Amino acid sequence: MFLATLSSWSAVKDRLKEYYLFLLLLEVGMIGVFLSLDLVLFYVFWEIVLVPMYFLIGIWGGERKFYAAIKFFLYTLFGSVMMLIGILVLYFHYHTFDVTAMVEAGNTLPLALQGWVFFAFFLGFAIKMPLFPFHTWLPDAHVEAPTAGSVILAGVLLKMGTYGFIRFSLPLFPEASRKYVPLVVVLALVSIVYGALVSLMQKDMKKLIAYSSVSHMGFVMLGLFTFSPMAVKGAVLQMINHGISTGALFLIVGIIYERRHTRLIAEFGGLSSRMPVYAAVFLIVSMSSIGLPGLNGFIGEFMIIMGTWQVNWVWAAVAATGIVLGAGYMLWLYQRVMFGKLENQANQSLKDLTLREFATFFPLVVLVFWIGIFPKSFLNVLDKPVEKVIRIVNPEYYKDAEAALPRPAVAPAAAPTAAETTKPKAEAR
Amino acid sequence: MDTSAYLSGLKYLVPEIYLLAVAAVSMFVHLFAKKRGARRAGYVVLAGLIAGVAVLFLSPLSPGEIYSGSLSVDSFALYFKAIFLLSGILTLVLAFRFFGVEKFEAGEMYYLIPFILIGMTAAVSSIDLITAYVAFELFAIPSYVLAGIFKKEQRSAEAGIKYFFLGTLSSGVMLLGMALVFGLTGETNFAAIGKALAGPNDHIALIGMILFFVGLFFKAALAPFHMWAPDVYEGAPTPLVVFLSTAPKAAVFAMLIRLVLTVFPKFEVQWTYIFQIVALITMFWGNIAALGQTNLKRMMAYSSIAHAGYLAIGLAAWGQLAHTAVLFYLVMYLFMNAAAFGLILLVRKSAGFGEEVADLGGLARSSPLAAGCLLVVLLALTGIPPTAGFMGKYFIFAAAVEKGLYWLSAAGALNSVISLFYYFRIGRAIYMEEPRPGIRFEPSVPVLAVLVAAAAVLLVFGIFPSLLTPLAAALTLIK
Repeated sequence: MFLATLSSWSAVKDRLKEYYLFLLLLEVGMIGVFLSLDLVLFYVFWEIVLVPMYFLIGIWGGERKFYAAIKFFLYTLFGSVMMLIGILVLYFHYHTFDVTAMVEAGNTLPLALQGWVFFAFFLGFAIKMPLFPFHTWLPDAHVEAPTAGSVILAGVLLKMGTYGFIRFSLPLFPEASRKYVPLVVVLALVSIVYGALVSLMQKDMKKLIAYSSVSHMGFVMLGLFTFSPMAVKGAVLQMINHGISTGALFLIVGIIYERRHTRLIAEFGGLSSRMPVYAAVFLIVSMSSIGLPGLNGFIGEFMIIMGTWQVNWVWAAVAATGIVLGAGYMLWLYQRVMFGKLENQANQSLKDLTLREFATFFPLVVLVFWIGIFPKSFLNVLDKPVEKVIRIVNPEYYKDAEAALPRPAVAPAAAPTAAETTKPKAEAR
Repeated sequence: MDTSAYLSGLKYLVPEIYLLAVAAVSMFVHLFAKKRGARRAGYVVLAGLIAGVAVLFLSPLSPGEIYSGSLSVDSFALYFKAIFLLSGILTLVLAFRFFGVEKFEAGEMYYLIPFILIGMTAAVSSIDLITAYVAFELFAIPSYVLAGIFKKEQRSAEAGIKYFFLGTLSSGVMLLGMALVFGLTGETNFAAIGKALAGPNDHIALIGMILFFVGLFFKAALAPFHMWAPDVYEGAPTPLVVFLSTAPKAAVFAMLIRLVLTVFPKFEVQWTYIFQIVALITMFWGNIAALGQTNLKRMMAYSSIAHAGYLAIGLAAWGQLAHTAVLFYLVMYLFMNAAAFGLILLVRKSAGFGEEVADLGGLARSSPLAAGCLLVVLLALTGIPPTAGFMGKYFIFAAAVEKGLYWLSAAGALNSVISLFYYFRIGRAIYMEEPRPGIRFEPSVPVLAVLVAAAAVLLVFGIFPSLLTPLAAALTLIK
């Protein structure tokens, strides 16, 4: 968020007061969403996020900003009102809006109703993520949004969807979640491959990154719905990773857009000779997005695929093609923009990163290496909460794991005591 | 009834008598003032209505039925009377600006408002067929005049005639329904009819109920009896539309609530179905028709039809929660609508300007305060938190879910999404578009005051709905 503000320092020139007002409102909504344990409060903050984002896209966006802004608003509002009905159904069943109380009350919703409520929430979260086939708002919104808007959109807003799944859908509707695994996994796999394929043929850098988001979020979704602890942890980590790498990629595009006012890949080429520092940062970030070992993307994707493999190797195989394609489009993008001869005269005078811009990237790059080299500091935090979710949604897993020896090393080591499982879930994010 | 009972009953009619006095004084001011008689008449009415709020709360509640079971001045009626007065006050504040710009002012339009208010206050208290019909006509007929009062404009005349013909037709249908019910039972008191109808099932009574509803649905602009609304709202003077689109609607809903609970409890299954269907058609029709409008007044007309549809969900899912929801929503709807039509007046400089959405382009630059308030109002109309519009819809959908009407609440939610599109067509004009060439906005102060008040109310009750809901919930004198 702070980085987004830095990035708009010189990009946004008119109507400054309103711009920062909307950014702050957005921040209110986002913090609220991740802190709420009360479903109505969650819903309220969830909606509050939409309004400033609508205006950020609509006022400071690109040429088709009206279209993109209203499309974003309509899509996500549709998803969220369906979720509201779901919330109300839950309330009249449990007579509370408190999620922890609902989970503790045990899953007493009849399966047929649970399916409907699951789908109501599913619509809300899947549109936000966005999961294929609800993804069409994303490229438009990303392309038209100002850089800060894209960064927040990719870094935080999309995570609201996946966060919702792990926080609400899985613990509240375990049976329905299990029942609809095939459907969700197929959608996730389609997202992965389709997102990657569409990215390959984009001419606009921002659109390319937007579709790569669809692909990456497909990974997260796949990881969540395998119900194996390793994949779920991978998925959560991947959420963070995606926020870092895609956020950084949007910043990178934003910087070049600010200088040249175009995002068409064909306009560039050979930039590395003019902007060496920029090129280095771009390289690190795109490698992280591809999932090069040693950087953060690798850990997340590897854990997801490992976890998935334990459940179903076909899913893992399809997901792996997504990684290959991902390497394809990112490297190709890098090659087209950075290498080759500097042919376009307009690019001759491009300046390298300023100190402020570098300061924007610095923490992101540090995180990229930190998660990549020493993920344990993040994974440790995730162990307990993930285990708790899995115990609710997939109790079979621990029975099997406890029976089978030796246990996989990465899975949570000791079987927790009863006291530990009843502890309130720690904040994962 | 002897004279002393008659006289002692009068003290329960203080608000009505007071309003009559206000109307009379204002009429005389109009006639005898040396200059600007119409405007002064307007000030008299405004002052009278503001003082009327105090009169309303000081006047006693009747212990039960008074005047041989024709009126019941209970707190439920009082709540609605307060809504009517508020609606009248907001209308008058907006009206001064409008008629100032239009250079046309008729004293009638000011003093007809208290007459209509008398009709409505009597209508919500009436528990007798005859009283209900007389009160209904008392607020219906002056409103036809109000719609057509803007004589120099053809649209207004058209609106008046259209409203009059369709209105009298529907009143006639309603009267037929009343006649059927009376003929079957021989009673005019609501509760007595309810008792008499409790016998074996009777189709004639059912037909009577449906015909009765037709008249009321017409007045509330519920589909399929809403056709008059866009034309009338477009043609009638804008501030009067604030009045016509809120107060009669509240009156009709109050009458409907009384009717279904006291006269037709026996047909609960049937009227529940009727309200479900009506709600569904009304919401979709209103919202989908509004999508294509570029004229603000027509757009808001369809929007108000859609809101009547949301309210009808509340009737379909009648219960304690729905009761609270409908009463809460009606108040909030009043503020939303007053602000939405105030928006048109805000930028008005010459006749007709400000009625197209595109006229509002760039308002946020010259008047950020007005734009911010309007944003709150638009969010409330769409039903997005943290506004009272959201809380109102939330209660209504919750009532529907409680009764197991999942599909109806889902349809209502879907309609919120549809409505977002056209409401934010306005938002887009205000915030994102350039002003029309040569336009400088100079928002008028009284209109701006209404907007700020509306936005403040919508925000406060959106965040603390419990300021009003216990009151609304406690008013279930009639079950």
